[in-house]
Amino acid sequence: MTELPSIRVGPSRSPASGPQEDKLPSSEPSVSDPAEVEATHGPSVFRVENLFFYYGDHLALRDITLDIRPREITSLIGPSGCGKTTFIRCLNRLNDLIPGTRLEGRVEFDGESLYGPDVRAIELRRRIGMVFQKPNPFPKSIYENVALAPRMNRMKGNLDDVVEESLVRAALWDEVKDKLRASAFSLSGGQQQRLCIARAIAVRPEVILMDEPCSALDPVATFRIEELMEDLKNDYTIVIVTHNMQQAARVSDRTAFFTVDTSQGGRTGVMVEIGATSKIFTAPSDQRTEDYITGRFG
Amino acid sequence: MTKTRRLFHEELQDLTHDVARLGALVRQAIEAGTAAFLAGDLRDAEAVIVGDRAIDQLAHSVESRVSDLLARQQPMAADLRLLLSALRISYAMERMGDNMVNVVKGTRRLYPYLLEPPIQDVISRMHEQAVAQLDVAITAFVERDVNRATALEDMDDAMDHLQHELFRLLFHTHATDDAAIQTAVQVGLLGRYFERIADLTVTIGERVRYMVTGEFPFEEG
Ligand SMILES: Nc1ncnc2c1ncn2[C@@H]1O[C@H](COP(=O)(O)OP(=O)(O)OP(=O)(O)O)[C@@H](O)[C@H]1O
Ligand SMILES: [Mg+2]
Repeated sequence: MTELPSIRVGPSRSPASGPQEDKLPSSEPSVSDPAEVEATHGPSVFRVENLFFYYGDHLALRDITLDIRPREITSLIGPSGCGKTTFIRCLNRLNDLIPGTRLEGRVEFDGESLYGPDVRAIELRRRIGMVFQKPNPFPKSIYENVALAPRMNRMKGNLDDVVEESLVRAALWDEVKDKLRASAFSLSGGQQQRLCIARAIAVRPEVILMDEPCSALDPVATFRIEELMEDLKNDYTIVIVTHNMQQAARVSDRTAFFTVDTSQGGRTGVMVEIGATSKIFTAPSDQRTEDYITGRFG
Repeated sequence: MTKTRRLFHEELQDLTHDVARLGALVRQAIEAGTAAFLAGDLRDAEAVIVGDRAIDQLAHSVESRVSDLLARQQPMAADLRLLLSALRISYAMERMGDNMVNVVKGTRRLYPYLLEPPIQDVISRMHEQAVAQLDVAITAFVERDVNRATALEDMDDAMDHLQHELFRLLFHTHATDDAAIQTAVQVGLLGRYFERIADLTVTIGERVRYMVTGEFPFEEG
């Protein structure tokens, strides 16, 4: 079996727009650490600028500006309904599938507009993988779950090797190598979730988006996924939505806190701050973050 | 806010209260210990040594509750900083108590000699200075007052001057008999203990600053 070639985030083109504004009005989301601002000059995988998102006439996200950096784990935290899922789905255009939705602002992926006219959905889904809250394997064999996408994408190389590499990488190989033809549903929830991760990395994406990937798992399975993320981070950029703040604190390099804002009528998701995880969890800049992570919220 | 979380915040308040109480016990030890030393009263000196056990016990209780809350509540942000600070501050207070025990042990070594009035006077002023600094430290902690916490550094200069003054007085004595030498040694050590106590109030001030602002003391200049 050959080594899985290390996957790099594509050639670093310089972003089309200038470096991030370094002075933000105080009511705006803050970048917690001044050193952070410096560091954002490196190439970002995603660069989101002034994003507004609507479900019909309901404004679900208002004026979100943030960068996702390569080979880091960025976690998104915040109360239910603040738009974490909506936001992460903006990063792979999954919301396009929902009728009546509208996005304003700019989302750049790898230096180019994600919502540009010649972006192809299939290509996008290959480069940006997603893992959902509930493990959702196809009703097929373990092998087929992993092999399907590479086959459809007509990836070069031996399919058996790709399946094995992906399962090894997802820390599942040892548990399934003798029953690759068994149904994916014969696996436990934690194993199914690792299978979904194997499926996501089989097409060698650049980014893996995870929306509460551990919420249906027990602590042991959760720790396995967290370990896996730590390992995957060497090659992939990971964005994770989690309700488990300890998880965000354990695994992520940067944390963004979103909340529900009701000041302008309606319930709208806003980003309060983004910063180094250790900073956010020991000394956040914004009182709303403080109240939320210390449990004084609601 | 959920019930468990509310209980947690009540526990944090209890903890704050106990750290302040620890400070009050230490304050008492400084008062009683200095009086015993100056009066050469062995019984009162012994009482301070016995009283130090209560200080140790309370400090250990704070420590074990902090460890329990860390494990069960995984506190974040200001809560986390409060717990870490309570730990460091209660340890500093316990150390102050230990220094006071050392002071009163000197009472036995000097017995039955009494100190010259000028030396007594400096020691008395050192004790006042220590108590004043401790009061500021406790208030800064309870009221989360960065200004008071920062003032401790400057206050501490006064203690350094007093220690100088004490040493100067010691070197003015020309007696060379054993009793005089023993006295000089004990008084010199005593000056050192008071200086440590005052130093520890500065440490508390630093921890209060960290608790309130989230900036580590060692990150600054
Ligand atoms: N398909 C949809 N159609 C209409 N409104 C939606 C849709 N999906 C989400 N919303 C609304 O958008 C807002 C944000 O929802 P979203 O699911 O993004 O929040 P979330 O932060 O992921 O919450 P949770 O933590 O509960 O998963 C909510 O007010 C929700 O009702
Ligand atoms: Mg969600």
